[in-house]
Amino acid sequence: MAIAINKGLSLAHDIYEDRGRRVRELRKAGRKTIGYICLYPPVEIITALGMVPFRIFGNMSEPITLADQVSTTVVCPFLRSIIDLGMKGKFDFLDGVVGAHTCDIGAGIIIQWRDYVKDTPFTHLIDVPHTDHPPAVEYFAGQLNSFKRHLEEHAGQKLTDDKLKKAVELHNTQRRLVRQLYDLRKPDPPLLTSAENLEVMVALFSLPVEEGNDLLEDVIKQVSERSDRPGRKKARLLVWGPVFDNTSLFKLIESAGASVVVDDTCVGTRAFWADVKAPYDLQALAQRYLVDIKCPRTYRQAEPAETRRDYDKDLDSRFNYIRKAVVDWNVNGAVLQSVKYCDTHGYEVPNLRHYLDTLGIPSIYIEHDYSERSLAPIKTRVEAFVETLG
Amino acid sequence: MSETAAPTKTEQKRAINRLKSMYPLRNLVQQDYIDTLQASSEGKPTVWSMLNYWEGDLPLKAMGLNIVYPENYSTLLASTGTAEPFLDASDSDGFPTHMCGYGRSTIGYSYRMMKELGGKIPPEAPVGGMAKPTLLLGSGIICDARFKWFQALGRYFDAPQWCLEMPMMPTFEGSEPDLEEYQVKFLTREVKAFIEFLEKLLQKKMDWARLEELIDLAVRIHETTWQISELRQSVPGPMHSTDFWSSMPPSLFFAGDMKVALKLYQDMLSEVQDRVNNKVAAINYPEKYRIVFAELPPWHSLKFFDSLAEKGWNFVYESYGYHAPKPPDLNKTSDPCEKLARLARNFIFNIHEHARADNISNPLVEQYLRIARGFKVDGFFLHPLISCRAASAGLRSVQEFMLRKLDVPTLWVEGDIIDKRVFNPQETLARAEAFEQTMDHYRKVRQSKGLGW
Ligand code: SF4
Ligand code: SF4
Repeated sequence: MAIAINKGLSLAHDIYEDRGRRVRELRKAGRKTIGYICLYPPVEIITALGMVPFRIFGNMSEPITLADQVSTTVVCPFLRSIIDLGMKGKFDFLDGVVGAHTCDIGAGIIIQWRDYVKDTPFTHLIDVPHTDHPPAVEYFAGQLNSFKRHLEEHAGQKLTDDKLKKAVELHNTQRRLVRQLYDLRKPDPPLLTSAENLEVMVALFSLPVEEGNDLLEDVIKQVSERSDRPGRKKARLLVWGPVFDNTSLFKLIESAGASVVVDDTCVGTRAFWADVKAPYDLQALAQRYLVDIKCPRTYRQAEPAETRRDYDKDLDSRFNYIRKAVVDWNVNGAVLQSVKYCDTHGYEVPNLRHYLDTLGIPSIYIEHDYSERSLAPIKTRVEAFVETLG
Repeated sequence: MSETAAPTKTEQKRAINRLKSMYPLRNLVQQDYIDTLQASSEGKPTVWSMLNYWEGDLPLKAMGLNIVYPENYSTLLASTGTAEPFLDASDSDGFPTHMCGYGRSTIGYSYRMMKELGGKIPPEAPVGGMAKPTLLLGSGIICDARFKWFQALGRYFDAPQWCLEMPMMPTFEGSEPDLEEYQVKFLTREVKAFIEFLEKLLQKKMDWARLEELIDLAVRIHETTWQISELRQSVPGPMHSTDFWSSMPPSLFFAGDMKVALKLYQDMLSEVQDRVNNKVAAINYPEKYRIVFAELPPWHSLKFFDSLAEKGWNFVYESYGYHAPKPPDLNKTSDPCEKLARLARNFIFNIHEHARADNISNPLVEQYLRIARGFKVDGFFLHPLISCRAASAGLRSVQEFMLRKLDVPTLWVEGDIIDKRVFNPQETLARAEAFEQTMDHYRKVRQSKGLGW
């Protein structure tokens, strides 16, 4: 059944197709625009200083050509795509770029940006510790303070407590609205497709937070009232993995006869599940980003400094949020995807699959090189997997 | 550096003029494997550790623990040609094949030990194998594999784990005022937490006097190895990269008895000084080209360097990640945890200081520019790996800056630390021959520009 596209989703679709559209307009009107890579640069600080945060993604349909001159092919293709687009001038609407030490290769991207992507007046890298030990959280708050100071200089204004508080409230509102949107995929069939959902997420990363919140309210209202729902499919899947910013995979899975009803990726739930808690200061931001975002890049233990280790307890402490999603969204299968050369996710795969097995959730693991082309050979495997779930 | 007479028959036997002092240092690491097996058979705790730039090694040693380093063990698997079945075992247990070869071989080893042999050491394992660990010490320095792969080993071992921290940031953020003290404070607290964890785990107190003694020995070892490195700037180069790789474990992770190691490095310093005084080269052929190797070597094909030595290629320096820098002044503090924090932090941040001074954002590039100038380098042998991002990602920048700034050319040879199928010695030799003309050309260019070598 064809799905009629309503206004909110249509806007999301347009922005998804041309991500820089709104940011370019705002820049023309005098706003500063700050690009950021991965989830860890706190967008609240950018918003509070009157700038527009813009999450930088690569482009899965554009072949990497220039980046080969400055990086090797074993570097994560997502990052290589970003540098490639940067070298081609496709981020020329950004006044600055912020990276974070989410993974060791990811940290190096700011160095490459400085050396090979010209004309970005502001660059900054935030060091993110590897653990959630208490001294690490304190150190990370110090890193956020350096970022704040550096961005204040660039903005020509100070970050007051009041401005930060207002920005945190706006971003927390966005997180709450995203959770509401995901609730619309709990019914069977879900009220929107995963590809539609992804377009909304990508749009949120491309708009000022207030406009993103308006978009979300609009989409939620329209989807809740829509009569042309997606059809019922034979399986309800969860998709896990690092950044996936393109609808192709979701369309591929849905065309194989399954609905993707929830995800654990950094373009979906991982970005929006945790709120910043009061008091809305740098320490609270450090807690939200380092401790509450559940990304495999951080080393966690069931208990701090545990002298006995129990594998099952360890897995449960690391992945129980996935168990909750499995129950809440009534999931009966999982697709684990990863971009090639991503160590932080790669080492997780057999353990997470084991954990899903204990929940009675069958899974497959697929690998790609962050290009639409690399998804084609995966199709048959996905179809065979969905078949087994029938 | 012009070519002279052909070598005699005896000289031809050994293309590389190995340092005598290297052999006993090379042997020290074997003792650690034997001691750990012995400790394990007596029911004593044993540790598998990642290279951690000393913040973890020294507390472990002060607590009397026996340690092995799977990264080092993987080089043994590679050089003895025994890695492949372990890599296959890792693949068969569902780990992606694109990850670090060291990680995959350790995972395969652990799988074989725990899932196939009920906890016994695989009989095919070289040097008696690695004893089963009772503690896994990961580290957050250099690459993510180094704590993620130990976390993944929870699949096979119920051994407790710890992940050591290390601040990491590029050059310019690293120049913030008070940054050093803020980082040292963080690392000191982390080292303290680690020691408290060890005390809880082992049910015994840290021997602080012993730790102080080991820190002092560590500083003296690093002072000595740093002096050796400095001497290697001489022409002809007195110490070959293969000798460095063979003798580095006692300074990189303090393999063996540290007192013995210090004495052996002092012997090495004398031998290298002797060679410098007498202009003795590290190859038994006239030194025609002075080469730097970056980064991790093809452990499975080290003989290949003999063929290059025969052509007059002297590998005068290598692998920045394996070199301890000149140690910092630790007398500023009496707290051993802070001393460890400063010692470890120095590994990363001393190269940042140089990079800032040169206004270069990539510290790896700066490091190699400095080496190229100081060591009067004719060319770089760059070895990007199919399975190690950390040691490969920056090499294109090294290549590009080296030519742009210093007119030093690079030979780009893809390979791997473990998988020998990727490296083609025959083809590389043919390319090396062509590269000689490039080096000759750029030598003239440098001279015409007055670059000094
Ligand atoms: S996908 Fe993996 S390797 Fe790439 S930036 Fe993210 S965590 Fe790093
Ligand atoms: S630095 Fe490279 S070889 Fe060493 S553990 Fe990391 S990925 Fe593996």
